[in-house]
Formats: sequence, C-alpha cells, structure tokens
Amino acid sequence: MGKVVGADDGLSLPGVSVKLQGTQKGVLTDGDGNFVLPASTGQTLEFSFVGYKIQQLVIPAGNLPLIKLKQDSRLLSEVVVTDGYSTTTKKAYTGSATTVKGSQNENKPFSTPQQALQGEVAGLAVSVNSGQPGANIQVRLRGLGSTYLDANPLYVIDGMIINSGDLSRSATTANAMAGINENDIESIQVLKDAAATAIYGSRGSNGVIIITTKRGKNGKTQVRFDAEGGVTTNMAIPDAGKPLTASQYGELYTEGLKNAGYSAATILSSQNAYGINSGQSNNWYDLVTKRGSQQQYNVSVNGGSDNTKVFSSLGYFHQDATTLNSKLTRISGLLNIDHNISKRISISTNLNVSNVNQNTPYNSTYYSAPIASAYFLRPYQLAYNADGSLNSSTSGGTNFPSFYNPLYISQNDVHGLSQTRGLIGETLKWTIWDQLKFTSFASIDYNVLEETYYANPTMGDGSVYGGYGGDYYTRYFNWLTRNQLDYRYNVKGVQDFYIDATVGYEAQRSQENYVTAEGTGYAASAPTLTTLSLASTPVTAQGTYSNYTYNSIYSRFSANYKNKYVLSGSFRRDGSSKFGSNVKYGNFWSVGGSWNIDEENFFKQQNIVSAAKLHASYGTSGNANGLGNYASKGSATISSDYTYAGYSGANYDVIGNNSLTWESARKFDIGIDLSFFKNRLTISPEYYHNSINGLIQNVAVSQTTGFSNAIENIGAMLNKGLELTIQGVPIKSKDFTWSTNFNVAFNRNKMTSVAEGTTGVHDTYYYLAKGLDYYSYYTKQYAGVNPANGDALWYTDATRTKTTTNYAEAKYVVNHQADPKMFGGFNNTWNYKGFSLTAEFYYNFGNYVYDPIGRYFSGGAYSSYNKYQYIYTNRWTTPGQVTDVPKYVVGGIADNNGSDAAVSSRYWYSGDYIRLKNLSLGYDFKDVGLLKRLGLSKLNVYVRGTNLWTKTYDSRLPFDPEVDINGYNSLSIPKVKTYTVGINVGL
Amino acid sequence: MKVRNYIYILLAGIVTLASCKKSFLEEENPTAVAVESSITTETGMLTAISGMYTSMKSYTLFGRNLPVLGDLLADNSYVSITNSGRYLTENNYTYIATASEIDEIWSQAYNTILQANRILYASVPASDNVNQLRGEAYATRALVYLQLVNLYGQPYTVNPSAAGVPIVTQPTYTTGAFTKPARSSVSAVYDRIITDLDSAYTLMPATTPAIHDANSNFLSKYAAKAIEARAYLYKGDYANARDAALLVANNGGFSLAASSSAFSAYWASATNRTDKLETIFELNMSSTVNNGYNGLDAIYNQDGYGDVLCTDDLYNSYTATDFRKSLILDGTRTPYQAYIVNKYQNVLQSDRDEVKVVRYAEVLLTLAESYAQLGDSGEALTYLNRVAQLRDPSLAAYTATGTTLVADILNERRKELAFEGYRFFDLTRTAAVINRPQEGAKSAASIATVTTANTRRILPIPQVEINANASITQNPGY
Repeated sequence: MGKVVGADDGLSLPGVSVKLQGTQKGVLTDGDGNFVLPASTGQTLEFSFVGYKIQQLVIPAGNLPLIKLKQDSRLLSEVVVTDGYSTTTKKAYTGSATTVKGSQNENKPFSTPQQALQGEVAGLAVSVNSGQPGANIQVRLRGLGSTYLDANPLYVIDGMIINSGDLSRSATTANAMAGINENDIESIQVLKDAAATAIYGSRGSNGVIIITTKRGKNGKTQVRFDAEGGVTTNMAIPDAGKPLTASQYGELYTEGLKNAGYSAATILSSQNAYGINSGQSNNWYDLVTKRGSQQQYNVSVNGGSDNTKVFSSLGYFHQDATTLNSKLTRISGLLNIDHNISKRISISTNLNVSNVNQNTPYNSTYYSAPIASAYFLRPYQLAYNADGSLNSSTSGGTNFPSFYNPLYISQNDVHGLSQTRGLIGETLKWTIWDQLKFTSFASIDYNVLEETYYANPTMGDGSVYGGYGGDYYTRYFNWLTRNQLDYRYNVKGVQDFYIDATVGYEAQRSQENYVTAEGTGYAASAPTLTTLSLASTPVTAQGTYSNYTYNSIYSRFSANYKNKYVLSGSFRRDGSSKFGSNVKYGNFWSVGGSWNIDEENFFKQQNIVSAAKLHASYGTSGNANGLGNYASKGSATISSDYTYAGYSGANYDVIGNNSLTWESARKFDIGIDLSFFKNRLTISPEYYHNSINGLIQNVAVSQTTGFSNAIENIGAMLNKGLELTIQGVPIKSKDFTWSTNFNVAFNRNKMTSVAEGTTGVHDTYYYLAKGLDYYSYYTKQYAGVNPANGDALWYTDATRTKTTTNYAEAKYVVNHQADPKMFGGFNNTWNYKGFSLTAEFYYNFGNYVYDPIGRYFSGGAYSSYNKYQYIYTNRWTTPGQVTDVPKYVVGGIADNNGSDAAVSSRYWYSGDYIRLKNLSLGYDFKDVGLLKRLGLSKLNVYVRGTNLWTKTYDSRLPFDPEVDINGYNSLSIPKVKTYTVGINVGL
Repeated sequence: MKVRNYIYILLAGIVTLASCKKSFLEEENPTAVAVESSITTETGMLTAISGMYTSMKSYTLFGRNLPVLGDLLADNSYVSITNSGRYLTENNYTYIATASEIDEIWSQAYNTILQANRILYASVPASDNVNQLRGEAYATRALVYLQLVNLYGQPYTVNPSAAGVPIVTQPTYTTGAFTKPARSSVSAVYDRIITDLDSAYTLMPATTPAIHDANSNFLSKYAAKAIEARAYLYKGDYANARDAALLVANNGGFSLAASSSAFSAYWASATNRTDKLETIFELNMSSTVNNGYNGLDAIYNQDGYGDVLCTDDLYNSYTATDFRKSLILDGTRTPYQAYIVNKYQNVLQSDRDEVKVVRYAEVLLTLAESYAQLGDSGEALTYLNRVAQLRDPSLAAYTATGTTLVADILNERRKELAFEGYRFFDLTRTAAVINRPQEGAKSAASIATVTTANTRRILPIPQVEINANASITQNPGY
C-alpha cells in the first residue's frame, strides 16, 4: 500500500492510475491518494494521471516511499472536485461543477467572496447592487429558483453548512460571509446539477457553493506577506442621471413656474423662497461623496512534515466607500492543522475567526439616506451656515424641511455593525482497513452580531424623540455533525473496475438568540456620547430565540470502469424542524453518468481533439432556505399587544400548514467537455432543465378561517438554459502567453403553474401568470410627448395604436423582464516574461431595470426636488419639438391632470452592460539571483483598478444598470472604482 | 481478519447510523404555543380570552368601524368635506366589494370568532372559572355573528331564509387552512346566536368568579342575556325579547345615571365600571393597548381625524334640557360650523375611552319596544318614560299608543344610542326608508334617500372572500 501526492503542493491525489508493469494488474488511488496493490519487491509500478507526468517506481524492500507526481503543465489543472462529502477527480465526477481557484481572486479589493465570483462561473448571476463594503449580495444559479423562499445558493465552508445571507437586524445591509478573507481560500466549487447537489437534500436546489480554505503543505515552511493600499473614487453617474447644477435647477424651476401660469411677482417670491437668487448653492453629490481608502495586509505561514501540516494566516482589510461613513474593517485569522496520529488515523482542525466592523448609512428614499438626499435636495438647500457650521434647520426653503442635511446625519448618527464569526471544524479519519474508512466531522459556526443605532436629537429620525438609540445583540450558534463510512470494492477479475459506496448520518442545529434594547432622550449637549445607557427613557426591551434542526441520512455509490465509464447515484433523506408535521421527511436522489471518450481506443486515432467527456444526470433536490422556523405550526402568540384590561393575552395568529415543506426541483443536465490542440482550447457546452414543483406561494384563504393568507407548496416554475465555457491559450511561446476564459449563460424562466387566485399583479410592478417569467414587468406604456403642446401621452391599448393624455385611461401591459437573458464573464491574462496583465469583464444582457424614484427627478409635479440632467436637456419647450420629456410645469401639466410624471414604461431602461471589473498589471521578479540576495523566494508588485470602464446601451439610463435582482434601482450606496498598488513577498 | 477489526467496524457503524431521537426535529416557538395544546388550564383559557377581546376591540371591528357605520349608514352622522379619506363611499352609499372597511369588518369578525372557537374547543375541566370564560366566548361569538348577519345578510324581519353568513364553530386547526364554507341562511345564523347566548347565560355564574376582575370590561351572565334581548328584537320575536330584557332589568342590578352630574361624569370617564351604572359591557382601551389614532374617539374628536360629524337633524332633535345634548358640541370643522360628537372625550389622554357595546338603556328601550309591539302600551310607556325622563327631567311623559308609540320608542333609541352603532339596524329591521339629512357644503358627497329597494342596505361580501372561497355567493347588486 502506498500514497500518491502532488510534488508541488504535497496534497494527496485521488484517481491516479497505478499499474504493475508486465501484468494486467492495476488500481486507482482513493480520495486520499491511497492505493493497495499486491506486488512484490523489484517489480515496477507505473503512475499516470491527467495533468501529471507519468512516473515509474521500482518497489523497494519495506514500506513504499511517498510517491510525488510532477505536474505536466497543461491547461486542465482543475482535477479535483470536493463537495463536502467526498473528493473525486474531475474525470470520475458525473455532476456539473465549476471550480474557481482561490489564487485567482487573491488581493482583490472585494469585501465579500460573492463579489469576486461575479463573471467567473457560467450560470452564476451575481448582482452587486450596493457599494457598501460588506453588503449582502444576491446570487442566482441557473435562474430564479424560488419566489417566496430564499433563492440564494447554499454556502458550505470546509464541510460546514453555514448560516448565510444578511443576519443583521438593524444595519442597512450586511453579509454573513464578509468575514471570509479571499486570501485564505484555496478553491471555490459551484455545484449545479442534481448529481452534484442531491447530496445536500432539501437545501441544494439553488446550487451549492463550497468554499475550501488553504491547508498546510509538505516541505519548507513558506511565509508570505501581501500588502496593498489605494483609493476608492466615484464611478461616474451616467450623464442622463446627473443632478442639475444650481443654475440649471434655477432655470428649470423658473420655466416651470412660467409654464404653470404664475405671475411675475409669484415667480419671484417662489424663487426667493428657494434661495435661487441668493447666489449661494452647493453640489450635493460632491458633498456626500469623497475619495475613500482601500488597504489590505495579509501574512500567512504554510508548512509541515509528512505527519503534521499547518496553514495559518492573519489578515486586515479596510475599505471606505466614496459615500460618507460607508465603510468596513475586517480582521481575520485562520489556523488549519492536519496531523497523522498513526498510519491509519488522522485528524484535521480548522479554526477561522473574523471580525467585521461596518457603518452602513441608509439607502432607498429614507430622509436620512445620503444618496437619496444628494438627488432630492435642491442645490440651493445649504449644507453649511454662514459661520461654517453644519446647517440643522428644518424650516425654510434653503434648509431641510423634509430630507435632512446628509452631512449633519453622517457626522452625528451611527448605524454600525460588529460581526464576529468563529468557524471551527474537527475531522477524524480512520482507515479501518484498506477498503473501509470512517470519517467523523463536527463543526461549529458561531456568529455574533452587535449592532448599534443612534439618531441624534437635533436633526433627523431621532429629533422627535429627543434622540433615539438602540443596541441589537444577535447570536447564532450553529453546529453540525456528520459520521460517514466509505467503502471501496475492487471488482474481482476485472482490471480497473471499482465501486465506491458511502453511507452517512448528519445532524444540524442552529440556535439564534437575540436581545433588543432601545431608548430615547439623549442630551443634546453631548453629541459625541451615543451609547444606549445615555438614553433617558427606555422604550424597548425584547429578547427571544429561534432555532431549526436538520436530521439526515445519506448514501452514494459510484462505479468506475477504467475511468472510461462512470455511473453514480446518491440518496438523501432529510428531516427538518421547519417542515409541517405531515411531511417531516423528504427523499432526494440522483443518478449520473460520464463517459470519458478520450479513454476509448478509437479516440487515439486522431490528434485534434485531445480530451472529451460526456456527462449527464437527473435527480431531485430541494429548497427550504428562508422557510420560517415555525411557519408550519398553527400557534397562539403571546404578546403585549394582546394584553386586555391588564391580563396578558394570546391570539391564534399563525395559521400554520401541517403540509408545508421544501420546494422540490427535478433537474436534468447534459454537457460535454471537449479539448483541442493538446488542451490549448477547451469548450464545454451544457444544457439544463430544472423543473421546480411545490413552489411556495402566499395563497389567499377564506377569511372565515380568521386569516387572509396561508403559505402553501402549490406553484411550479421552470428554468432551462444553456451554458458555455471556453478556455484557451491562443498564444504560447517562451516569453509570451495569452490565456483566456469566456463564459456565457442563457436562461429562460417561466411559471408553469400558479395557485388559483394568484394570477395577476405581484409586488406592484410585475405580473404573475402561467407561462410568464416571474419577473415580467407590468406597467402603463408611455407614448412620448405631443410635439404640438408638450403634453405627456400614454397608450390606451396593448398594440400601441391609440394614445391619451389621461393617465387613468392608460393600459397596463406586460413588457420586459428584470432577470437577464444572457450574462457571463470574459477574462484574459497576458504574460510577458515577468509581466502579467489581467483584464476581467462581466456582462449582462436582455433585462430591463426600473427607477421607482425616477418620477421625482423627472416631473414638474415634484418641482421641489432636483432633477435628472436628461430632463433638463430634453424637455419640451417649443411647438413642433420632438422629444420624450414633457413640458416642465410646476405642479404638473394641466392636460395630464398633473400626472405627466406618473409611473409608466418611461422609467424602465435597458439593463444591458459590459463592465471591466478588474484590470491589473503585475511584475514577478524572476531573477533568482536578485531574490536570493534579498533573501526572498518570491517578489511580485502590481497595480490594479476595478470598475474602470462600463458600457451601457440606453442613453436615457440615469443610473448604473447593475441593480437589485428584481430590477429596482434602490438608491443603494454607489459602487466605487478602486486603484491599488500592492506587493507580494515570499520568504 | 482480526476480531478487533470487526469490533472497530461495529463501532464505526453504530456511530455512523445512530440517529437522534425523533424529538430532535421538534423545535418549539419561544413566543407562541402550538394552538392545539394552547389551552389546558384556567389561566391558559384566560390568556386566550384576553386575545379574543383584543381581536374584538380592533378599530376594524368594534373599536371603530362597527359603531361608525351603524350611524353613518343611517341618519345620525356624515363625513365632513374636510376629511382624511375615510368612510367616503359609506357616506355616499357607493361602496363596492373591494372597499377596505367591508373587508376589515368581515375578516376581523371571523378572527374574533376564531379566537372564541379556540376557547370553546379546548377541554379544561369545568369549574366556575371555566364556565365563566366559556360563557364569555359563547357570548362574544353570538355578538359578532349578530353584527355579521345584519350587515352582510337580509334582516330576519325581511327575509329569514335569505343567505346569511358562513357559520364557523370550529377552530381553523381542525378544519385546515383551505376550508371553503358556504353561507348559511339568516335564520340558521340566528338559531346559532340564540343557542350560543343560552349557553353563555346558563354557563356563567351570576356573580363573576375570581378568574378575573368583575367589571364592565368582561361579558357577564346578564350581558349575555342583554345581547339575547337585542337578537330577539332584531329577529322580531318580541315575546322572547321582552322575557330576556326583563331578566336583565329585574335581576341584573344595573342602573341609569340619576342626575345631570352623574350622567356627565359617566361619559367623561375612561375607565371600566364596577358599579353597574349604565354600562353592561364595554371594551377596554388602556393607556398601553388602545387603537391610537385609529380609535373611535379620534374619528369624532377634532383633536383626532374628526372626520365624522353629527347631523344637524339629530342635534336639533334633542330638547335644550336633554342631558344628552351636552354630548354634542356646537363647534367648527374648518371652514364650517359643525356639530361635533363628544361622547368619547379622552382622545388626548393616554388612557382612552372604553368602547360601549351593551348599555342598560338599550335593554330598557328593547323592553319598551317589545311591550309596545305585543300591545301592552302601559308597560311600554313605563320603560320608555323611565329612560326619557331621566335624561331630560323637564320632559313631559310619552302617552301615545300603537304605531305612534313604536315610533316614539325608535326615536328615543336614536337619541339615546347615537354614535354607538345601532341606528342603521333599527331602520333596516323595520324595513324603513332611510332619509339621510343633507348637510350641503359641510358634507362630503352623500345620498339623501335609501329606499328599501336599494341593494346597498346590505354590504357586499368582500371581493377577497369571493376570490378565495368558491362556495360563497355575492349579495345582489354587487
């Protein structure tokens, strides 16, 4: 028996073909690189493996030495798939999974791993709609997988199914994964189809994202130090959406008053009320944004011996967005230890601790939101008093009667989050005998969120309370344990034919506990003292908990014949506390197969196609993420709201549904990986068809039940699509290499069944109906402007033939969708000697985006707010003028009953864009002599810019088209450009 | 293979496949109890009773909508031209099945019925305390059905076999969330109401037991009987109405305010009563749990929305010496003069006005009307004059007989029970044309006459109920 590892990293290599020369005997290594092959001293073993050079070994007397295979530098280096339950080779894998190497995203100025994944995986749509560092990021794999529940993928870190998403209760946005340091990630696997996700049972149908952290490697201890610094700056607002300058606003307002027929005297007094003639103004967007900073420092130590390996790291990351007071600081540490207790028993420990500190200003149209203020406030509302102090007056046209002074708010209010996460895992592996292994795994995902809110007593949300403060303590204690047996059976008498079988048991419990305390009445005399203890009147004291459990058995098998034909199957039975009592347990299964055509003899007749693999799978997986912990149980809630005449009360207010359970997806997937020209070019097309049944909908029930709605597994939805990944090395010479990676995904979503009575408008601007995309917009259609008089017009019919000036008569029409029809990434790296230039693009086509606040910045009916540049430039002024912006009339156009700016298709824009997400230029010092003199093993310097260039396709578009997944521009903290300079040093 | 290996395998196998107990999948909600097992003790039942009353006192039901509409749909009140947008379609009889109040009343009524059904379905060993609480639940359910059947169904006196409302007597956890009950006939609903009130009266001890305070915030034995008198009166069953009302009058121990000052003090008070003066049952509005800006007091009082005003006609119907005239202020609803309802006076206080649901004066007037309808003018005049002359000591006693006497009694009911939500039912059960005083520029759009043929005398079944419940039928005209 022996073990095979990679020569460069010391990691075990599964699936290596081991042959005894001169015989027919042979075997493949198992998931840990071990193999057993009866042989005698002096015979020769031959080791071969895709991507590695063939190696031979004469069997010595005694124990076999560790076999270290050297890499054969080829493109297809992603050879291992780890899904949290087992490890296998890409060739033997029957599922659909994409691997992103951690090294690809190291040192990028992205505060969350999701942000870095954008554009790197075909079919994985990542919507970075907020520039708040540490913002929650919506991710959709192969289209929208759920409408009522959470449609994000399941996240697994080092085997642990974690609580993900936004766990905060007060912060504007937060991301449970913001504590993960990109430099600690070894690889990210995205599991897509049934063969890959069914093992995750009732939680896998939206895809599973497996994050594996770095582990110690055999050999000389390596110390690595990375440092970078830089700045963040505003991404330019599209010209159409720039707020007006003071003189433009003054001109437009005056014109609007004239158009409304006001007398000269009234116009003058209105102007004066707004300070238009005062000569004093300011540019709000410039005031609420600034140049921010970006820094990160990482140090890691990596080393070990045959028996003990250690990886440890410490990281610091800080980012200021350009918006005032929007920032994040992360400190993270990782310690991973692998130790062989004996030949048969090994243990591994993971310890990942991080703290993320954020301040998160409001978004959307809150009066206290800085970005909303920058758009809504007139340039003549003055940030500063004459004496240079901040203006906090709330009356008068040059002060702040509605939106607050954002500078005052950002200086005085607090909206902070401190998120501390500890992720601890322990694995015991015991090789009972050569074919049978036992693995025991236990992990804790411990999350503490301490949030502080403070609204000052002078101006803003706190002023009516004399100051408002709150402390929000939230703790998640989430544990998981898993015990698993793996057995390998080498089919007797058939060479290279084996069957792997796995059986396991898993249990998980997550306990959330929270306490809320709020108070009012702060001393205005001490504006810098903001802790809750200073509040004079306590108003809220609440504390409770919320738990869920999962209990599962699972098994899988795989039959592999010569790495040529592989057939696999999996089964999982999941029970959860969340499910209704009628349906506590669900069964999930998959079958998959792959045919490595390149192993066939006929394949070797040609030399154009260098590798070919066909894989297909079918099976089921479920989704229960976001299902309320107690939603299935009819219950009577005890609450102070139900206290009557001094007696505490309980009201039967949760209808419950004993049949409430997971949503179930039937997934079919087929794909082929083709490599050409000695693997210089790889093309991988893939087709999928995911049919989701038991889609949870909120259904109206007879109110004689005492309730209006109940959630029920009743709808059905289909996602089908095509993914294509092309990887290539178009140029490869001694000094110059160009490698490229292109991926694209097309998805079609449609409702295939909706509950009776739910067809119709949903979420105000969409239409729910069988056959339609879930995010199909539904709105009145704008017909432009009457060139004769500047009135706004709308269509009264779906065929767009008749128009009206009466908004009430305009017809609602289903038109366009919020989710993209096509998206992907295009990444290139050029290497010339030590130089390396990388350009990464992300693109998104076929969707429309909606501006729910557009009307405020477009019409004279909202003349007290600033306006978009597009309105100023294109407004109707003269008879005969053909334009799409109506006449500007303060109070609205009379012919339109003042509704000329009302919501219509006018505020929908093409969401198409291409973005240069990342551009970096580095130089790797390859002069060994120089490095030696410096005492270094590696030295690399780089400059990097992110979000440097964006191409959009709608000249009317007033904002960045990368918005929320539902297509809304929610006035989030704007994304930023970063410019950084960094250095990586290896000792 | 060594024996030891087998032991290892056995050990690994046991650890791997050992599953937790089934109870591992049971997680209990920390702020709620599973409804099936939520009432197992007397105190558990009391907690549910509190929940039932808080459901009932919502502004969408007894807390505002019901008492407002009972006068607004008739001739006692109107919506000012200066308004917050509330009750405009009711003021003008243009409501449709999607109107918000139509659905609010329906859904909140059935929510209250659900809370009562939960209590009645629980099995807790009988005791005085349990009997009292179960009686309160029966009386609540009956009271809510009486309101429902009179708003959404034909008056019993007009057509008892017409469609009433669905009768639900079981909690939803036993029927399932997706049950779709049909409407029962008006007479079937009345049968249920009478049965429930008989149960309530029989169950509840004459003296409220120790489970909760004995005050006007809780339904009592004689409150149930008083509601039964009302049900029989609405049904046109005057003999039974008389008998029920007599039981309350003779045995209930209630009294009317004996003086002008006692009368004023009674209406000024925001707290519950233990002296059995005037109130038989009223819903508690405390300083911590009340309807806030949506309260009944706020819709009338000019310190609240103040949208709904007293008609000039009603104001003028009171004599100058009538105590009750003092409950209406001659004031201004900008920019017009207006008569402002001042029955609920504590809108600016933290402890807000209780909402009166059953008062003793109603019982006495029911008694008078029953006697009059049964031909006993003498007894009728006794009870009518007892109320009328206490309210206006200068009033010459009523002396009429026959239909004039009945008309006098209905007129006295209008004056006594104004702004407590009775007038509309008095007009519909007597199949009267509703002549609504027109207030000109002071009023939002309002129709003057509601004939007996007007289908809006009956509210529409809410559209959301029609959509969700295939078994239900809409009322004619909607």
